[in-house]
Amino acid sequence: MNINLDEIFDYTSFNIDRDPHIVLDENICKECDQRFCVNACPACCYTWSEEEQKMTFVHDGCLECGTCYVVCGNNAFTLWRYPRGGFGVSYRMT
Amino acid sequence: MKRTYDAIVVGAGPAGSSAALTMARAGLSVALLERGAFPGEKNMFGGVLHRLTALEDVFPDFWNQAPWERHIVKKNISFITEGSSFNVSFDSEEADSPPYNGYTVFRPKFDNWLAEEAVKAGATLLTRSTVDDVIIENGKVTGVTMLRDGAELHAPVVIAADGVLSFVAKKAGLRTATFDPGKQGVCIKALIDMPKEVIDDRFGLVRDQGASKEIVGCTSGVRGGTFLYTNYDSLSLGMVLELASLNEKDKTPYDLLNALMQQPQIAKLLKGGKLLEYSAHLVPKGGYDMMPELVGDGIMVTGDAAAMCIITGINLEGINLAAESGVLAGKAAIDAHHQRDFSKSSLASYRKMLEESFVLKDLKLYKRSPQMLHNDRIFSQYPELLCGVMDEIYRIDGSPKETMTKMLLGKIKETVGLKNLMADVYSGWRAL
Repeated sequence: MNINLDEIFDYTSFNIDRDPHIVLDENICKECDQRFCVNACPACCYTWSEEEQKMTFVHDGCLECGTCYVVCGNNAFTLWRYPRGGFGVSYRMT
Repeated sequence: MKRTYDAIVVGAGPAGSSAALTMARAGLSVALLERGAFPGEKNMFGGVLHRLTALEDVFPDFWNQAPWERHIVKKNISFITEGSSFNVSFDSEEADSPPYNGYTVFRPKFDNWLAEEAVKAGATLLTRSTVDDVIIENGKVTGVTMLRDGAELHAPVVIAADGVLSFVAKKAGLRTATFDPGKQGVCIKALIDMPKEVIDDRFGLVRDQGASKEIVGCTSGVRGGTFLYTNYDSLSLGMVLELASLNEKDKTPYDLLNALMQQPQIAKLLKGGKLLEYSAHLVPKGGYDMMPELVGDGIMVTGDAAAMCIITGINLEGINLAAESGVLAGKAAIDAHHQRDFSKSSLASYRKMLEESFVLKDLKLYKRSPQMLHNDRIFSQYPELLCGVMDEIYRIDGSPKETMTKMLLGKIKETVGLKNLMADVYSGWRAL
């Protein structure tokens, strides 16, 4: 058994909203020398592209845990809130 | 749209629903707001719900009413290295009869049940309702606005039960603007499908008896721990990892959990299991010192929103504190209605009741344990030491034995160091 986050949609349910509930200021992420979000996010929603010098956040598989909100030392969020009512992760058991 | 209630509770988790239930039973009109499609949809935790003394007046036979998986009769602490484990187990016959000391539960079921009980008592549950902002008039909190349609809900008292990040407490000016990554942990959990009979055999259980296992070690030196709990026909395996330590060690939470699943003694327990669900959430692990202001004009903060969580390495408590704080906040709101005074000084009765209850007494008692656990040796060198000593004691390989004292001192020097050991024993003694 292994947790493979490429397959997260096979075992955890989501009602994905069109609009992201977390938005980054790309310039702050570009200047950041820590990028703790990339490793700390338990759903692997953050990816840093060295080539494009760009941080990407994909909200689809966000578990709404709050880790990025706490580890980001530069407050790179132009928006950080929970999804609109009824959207986002939907745990069945856990 | 504008609606007015006697009280608004933000968040239908254990703290919020306990508050709503208490107030509704006293005849107050209560709005219980939940951002999920149903209460519990967004909630996860390790998996063991301790006895909820706070709700025993309302549910004298809680165990016949609440939806739970198994009641815990077996407690185990395990120190593990890559190839060995040292276990301390406690099995109790007394824990096998009600009132049970603890249960494994699923939050989407349990939280939903508790919120429905609040509804039965008369509370109005509004789901899919994310709070956008707090309404402040003349310096007093008088309501909240909703994200969906900007609707305003008004009440002379608002109870923040919106979880670890509590934006309600932030907007009311009761919590700090940022959090210390050294005082927050991320909990990740794999829910693993396994037939009931297999769980019973592997863990030595019958009927709906359950086992809990806390595991120290094999986290690649990251400060944190692992838990393994038995549900009726599934296992909950997860880790709580301190965020600052994850950053220092440059590790991802899921890689650590995947690696732990390969540890031979753990792998045997998980064999044949299938991943059912993966979840994650923050845990406020800083204890008493990271608590926000609990009371403001027209507002009280409860449960995780108030960082009411105790992590000693042996016990993990949260929901029992949340439920107690919810009940007490509800009582304070009822008193405030009697006196028609919702000022900070009137609602301070909430803080006073908390001081007199186990909530603040225990949080103060274990005030030093976050500092004690901020020690890398606990998570790698001590498991090595314990397993190394046991290995020496049991190993028969034709070489002559050393005296126990000499062997112990040798092992201590190899791993922790004698000075460190004495310092750690002292700090552990003070913290626990």
